[in-house]
Amino acid sequence: MTQAFPWLLLPVFWSARNRARRREKGDGLRAGLFGGLGLGVAAAIFAIVFWLTWQLLDYEELGDYLVRLGLGWLFLTFLSFVAFSAVVSALSTFFLSEDLRLLLAAPVPSERLFHSRFARTVGQSAWMVVAFLLPVLLAIGLARCAPTAYYFLAVATVLPFVVIPSALGAMVTLGLVSVFPARRARDVLMLMGLLFAVAIVLLLRFIRPERLLSVQSLPDVTAFFATLQSPVTPFLPSFWAGESLFLALRGQVDLLHLGALWTTALALTVLARAAYGRQYFAAWSKAQEARKARFTRLSLLDSLVLRLPLSRPGRALLVKDVKVFLRDTTQWSQLLLLLALALVYVYNFRVLDLDRIPYMSRVIKNAYAFVNLAMAAFVTSAVAVRFVFPAVSAEGPAFWIVRTAPVRMSSFLWSKLWTGLVPILVLAETLTVASNQLLGVSPFLKLLGAGAIALMTVALVGLACGMGARHPRFGAENLTQVAGSYGGVAFMILAVLYILVTVALLAWPASVFLWHEYRGLPIAPRRQAWMALALVAAVALGLFTFWSSMRRGVRALEELG
Amino acid sequence: MILVESLVKTFGSFKAVDDVSLEVPAGEIHGFLGPNGAGKTTTICMIAGLLKPTAGRVAIDGHDLAREPEAAKKALGFIPDRPFLYEKLTAAEFLRFHGGLYGMEAAAVEARAHELLELFELLGWRDELVESFSHGMKQRLVMCAAFLHRPRAVLVDEPMVGLDPRGARLIKGIFRVMSRKGVAVLMSTHTLEVAEEMCDRISIIQEGRIIARGTVSELHALAGTDDPQLTPVFLKLTGGSALQEIEL
Repeated sequence: MTQAFPWLLLPVFWSARNRARRREKGDGLRAGLFGGLGLGVAAAIFAIVFWLTWQLLDYEELGDYLVRLGLGWLFLTFLSFVAFSAVVSALSTFFLSEDLRLLLAAPVPSERLFHSRFARTVGQSAWMVVAFLLPVLLAIGLARCAPTAYYFLAVATVLPFVVIPSALGAMVTLGLVSVFPARRARDVLMLMGLLFAVAIVLLLRFIRPERLLSVQSLPDVTAFFATLQSPVTPFLPSFWAGESLFLALRGQVDLLHLGALWTTALALTVLARAAYGRQYFAAWSKAQEARKARFTRLSLLDSLVLRLPLSRPGRALLVKDVKVFLRDTTQWSQLLLLLALALVYVYNFRVLDLDRIPYMSRVIKNAYAFVNLAMAAFVTSAVAVRFVFPAVSAEGPAFWIVRTAPVRMSSFLWSKLWTGLVPILVLAETLTVASNQLLGVSPFLKLLGAGAIALMTVALVGLACGMGARHPRFGAENLTQVAGSYGGVAFMILAVLYILVTVALLAWPASVFLWHEYRGLPIAPRRQAWMALALVAAVALGLFTFWSSMRRGVRALEELG
Repeated sequence: MILVESLVKTFGSFKAVDDVSLEVPAGEIHGFLGPNGAGKTTTICMIAGLLKPTAGRVAIDGHDLAREPEAAKKALGFIPDRPFLYEKLTAAEFLRFHGGLYGMEAAAVEARAHELLELFELLGWRDELVESFSHGMKQRLVMCAAFLHRPRAVLVDEPMVGLDPRGARLIKGIFRVMSRKGVAVLMSTHTLEVAEEMCDRISIIQEGRIIARGTVSELHALAGTDDPQLTPVFLKLTGGSALQEIEL
């Protein structure tokens, strides 16, 4: 007799256990950093929600109404999030996983396979929501002095709540794969998800939530909350979950909504199982078919690169890297998110109203120019860790082609550097110049900002490229994993240190210069010498960071094996 | 053409390759045999420049791999056992990329790529992404790339893996033609029939050391077997003849 479905989940746990046992270099640092960061975020969420709920206690009925509405809205957001996430997860767990061939060839009943894969889908799509809900529900419960039953009821509410959108998502995936090939469906979904994220980011920023903080816009707040209710809401699981938890806060058990949650979750699971029972094998077989894909030829790129003053291997590497990047939806689509963030960044400076404090505005504007420089450099390092740091690892198992070719590793790494440096430099300069223009800083600082960001971009991209070569992960499943590896984290730490030191080295002489210029005073020669030294040190630090990283990167590649 | 002198590779305390020396002159097809884990692929990887030897020297066409890596690699064509390629490039683009890495003129690459794709029966797939290729097709594309720059020596790790009989026959024919044109071929394989049929000389490696070398008849004499097949010779030399009865 074959084992029950949890048996099929064992490889996941065993792999996790083995990964934990086999500790690699930097695991402790990474775990400490990410764990600390996660705990910090959870503590911050807890503190904010606790404070808000505590404040609302003063408003009795309005407070209750807002907690109820808030819970309903929170769950409504998570409903859509888990549903979308489940569509993507189900594609991976049911159709693209490497171990499916093994499992489908084994005498595993289809229901057991469904249950195990569905459990993985629920876990993968809901863990983030659960991790977020934990401090939120805990804070609400503690702030309102909820009875112990509230915490049990919270578990009994969240569990069926995450199953419902997961089952729906899994069924949507089955439908999608029955129509499109699985890999094409993944690309479509990735793009949709990203556009969704971009739309959310832009929407959230352009409604200017900071207006709600000003006293004059108080009537807007009530209008804002009034729009949150709609006639469809009571039929959604998010409403049931919110209601169930709200009553649990008062020590009551809302059997109607809790029952609705559990019966819907079970019914949808049964429905999904039936749908998979009927359609899964046909859809899976279809997903295995390798079709001739449609793709962009990008022949213009070949002719453009031919005009560049590069060596033949340099041209070959550039064309290959750009084509591989542009044909991989999971890669280029992230540029959309980047574009949205850049737009939001510049927009923030447009709506920044520093003229409200006229007597300070000049000083603050100039101080903001350096904050802006540091922020633009942080954006540059974030872009570099995502796109430049994994550039060497992106060769993956095909790296043998370059390594056995008569190409110096220095030429290879420099090619990677140029491919990343040019677009990132354009982005960083655009951000800095546009935001300084919108801020209205002095012409001297505009010039200094443009020059400084160019120097910092060169240093940061060089650092990312070199460190990416020193800490490659050719076996990584995707490049996001590479960015989050030990080397990626180490790069971010060094990048932040570099940015802080450089901004300090530039800000001091610049502020001294502006202060003296504003007052029409001459600068003492001794001070001028120190200022010049600080500027030279900033340039030297940038160049040293760049050269030493690249040199060590080349050496690491030559020493590979 | 391929010269290997006292090659050693250690991983920690484990000696994977222990004092291996080889010489493959121009026009020779040299078989490199050995049981699993004997050190064949490690040796091949060191000759291809993928692994740094702990000690020893490799030279291709007279160029020392450590001192003149570009010149040595330019003379070599490498065919690995697993054809990992850039999945998002087409076959033609991959060959263009490969030609660029070897410093070939664009026009020369186009002509040679067309010729090789036709020879390896991939012409109909030249403008398709590699991700839609089967294992055997990828293997044939790797061979196109290995021969693209007209190498003086070819290094092959398990050439017949993933190839259908038609493909295997094609490869054997191509290697023979290459060897007649003076190309040195060093071929690691598990398929003893292929080694017997194609190789001028064979080296057998076990536990990182070369234990026997010679023509097929010299190996027969060395093993002292009358059996005309190479399998008993291999088993006797590598100590793997004591097969037990397996109950299925």
